[in-house]
Amino acid sequence: MTPASHSLQRRLLMLVLGVVASVWVATAVLTWFDARHELDELLDGHLAQAAAILVVQQGQEMGDDNHGQGVDAPSLHRYAPKVAFQVFHEGRLAMRSANAPQQPMAGANDDFKAGFETVQIEGAAWRVFSAYGSESDVQVYVGEETHSRANILWAVLRSTLLPMAVALPLLALALWWAIHRSVAPMRRLGLTLARRQPDALDPLALDGAPAEIAPMVDALNGLFERIGGLIESERRFTADASHELRTPIAAIRAQAQVALGEADDALRRHALNQTLEGCDRAIHLVDQLLTLSRLEASAVPVMADLDLSALVRQVVADVAPKAIGKGQSLELDAAEAVMVSGNATLLTVLVRNLVDNAVRYSPHAAHIRVTVQRRNGQVCLQVDDSGPGVPESVRKRLGERFFRITGTGESGSGLGWSIVRRIATVHRMTLQVDHSAELGGLAVLVSGTLQADGRSH
Amino acid sequence: MRILLAEDDSLLGDGLRAGLRQLGFQVDWVRDGEAAERELRAQPYTAAVLDLGLPRKDGLQVLAAIRQARIATPVLVLTARDTVPDRIRGLDTGADDYVVKPVDLHELAARLRALVRRAHGQPQECLTAQDVVLDPASRTVRRSDVPIALSTREFDLLQAFMLSAGRVLSREQLEQQLYSWGQEVDSNAIEVHIHNLRRKLGSNLIHTVRGVGYMLQREAPSA
Repeated sequence: MTPASHSLQRRLLMLVLGVVASVWVATAVLTWFDARHELDELLDGHLAQAAAILVVQQGQEMGDDNHGQGVDAPSLHRYAPKVAFQVFHEGRLAMRSANAPQQPMAGANDDFKAGFETVQIEGAAWRVFSAYGSESDVQVYVGEETHSRANILWAVLRSTLLPMAVALPLLALALWWAIHRSVAPMRRLGLTLARRQPDALDPLALDGAPAEIAPMVDALNGLFERIGGLIESERRFTADASHELRTPIAAIRAQAQVALGEADDALRRHALNQTLEGCDRAIHLVDQLLTLSRLEASAVPVMADLDLSALVRQVVADVAPKAIGKGQSLELDAAEAVMVSGNATLLTVLVRNLVDNAVRYSPHAAHIRVTVQRRNGQVCLQVDDSGPGVPESVRKRLGERFFRITGTGESGSGLGWSIVRRIATVHRMTLQVDHSAELGGLAVLVSGTLQADGRSH
Repeated sequence: MRILLAEDDSLLGDGLRAGLRQLGFQVDWVRDGEAAERELRAQPYTAAVLDLGLPRKDGLQVLAAIRQARIATPVLVLTARDTVPDRIRGLDTGADDYVVKPVDLHELAARLRALVRRAHGQPQECLTAQDVVLDPASRTVRRSDVPIALSTREFDLLQAFMLSAGRVLSREQLEQQLYSWGQEVDSNAIEVHIHNLRRKLGSNLIHTVRGVGYMLQREAPSA
């Protein structure tokens, strides 16, 4: 397995925690701005209210003679010291709180401006509300240090942010547990795979695999099965090849040794000819073995539209010299073009095997007829011969690998029928072996729909 | 030595027959299991080379049948079935040797000679009787260390006698051991060969038992 940096669990945890933390921070920032805005509104309201009270009070006490003296306004609340006020009458300081300066807190050298203003007084930021009295010669300033506002804001935010900060590690822990549990099937799959023998091909059994993993397990099992099939076919090929090639090779060896030790010219020639024939036989056997092995190992071959009549004509032309050599009459009945969908190479192998068998196992001067036609929507390829035929009991054994009919005097590979059967299956055709009503020997019928529109694959 | 060869493959059978003939064996060739069993029951072959994948009757069945019938002919199984269980089954069924194809002809011949030697209780490769030593491998005969030139038939006859030293062999038995199928046998051929052997090897070696046959005496008669 790859290092932990690529761990799905870690990534999930990091992502979820990151998203949660970001959302929390955003919430906190929003809360900050919102709370500050509301707090400002509220406290500004209080400042304005306080100023209004002072203005009303000033109207009543204007006659009093305590101009310029600081009034010790009682500090009734813990935020109170941070609040200061000034009352000017006709430009003179009529009243102020103890913590208020002598000069007007706002708009000192400028024209008087009613309303809120933030100013710097003795190095601290103050929020000041300025207002006119009942008559315009009275000016009232009420100020509040902004620092105290920040304190209140912090106090408000602390109560919301602190639980969040505590909750984050707890949430991380809970998330870790939840994710750990959720990816357990994947971890189990990984462990199961890691523990398997490299050559193990039995299907994976993963109980309770979640929907996300089930397709992967299925795909893996499918792969195992396919590889198993390939290896089995490979193994069988090797076993068959070594077994079946032993006899021809033994023959080649024996004949070659005889030729080496033979003094008589005619006998030596005979042995050498036999050696060559043995080589041909071994080559034929290897070809057939390879064909069968490829057929068994490969998936569905590529299909194309082709004229079966033309294909059969070519095969019959190829085999004809051998038939003529045996004095046989080989006849093709394929007048019309029969378009089919199939694999040309494989169909050629099939037809060649059938015609070759007929020629090979029919006696001298036998009659062989190959027919290609469309019958009841079916493509029919039939090979009849006037040879000895095959007994009913033996027919069903045709197609077993290396099954050979004994006593024919011919040395076949024992694979031809397996190949024919296999190619017919690939083309979804049926293979029937029967007694030939017309010629008296064997009749082999291969039929199927083989539609040329590509529907029959 | 007359050998029965049971092999259904025509090329291999032809090659083995020709090769074994070159190496001094008389070879009868059958192509199916039933014929092999029939011949083994009918003739006293010196040894048999038996393929297992035979038509009509499997080689193993043939082997089991002849052993059942108490026929002790040494049998060398020559087959393509090369797995260990196959070898074990072959030997346990009654094969005296088990050889997987392909095989060298000289090795096959040597194995056959070894089988025959063991079957006749001979510890050595060379057969000895009195002052005559016969080497089956090189097909040479020496008398008191002097090489003696023998014809093929004379050699085969002497070998048959030496393998059955001390036993009386009829003329028919000797003919069966000497001639494979299709070889014409003159009615007095055996007598002529024995006469020649006596002339070359001394008259004390082969005795005539009138009305029965001939016998080779291993030890020189004490004076």
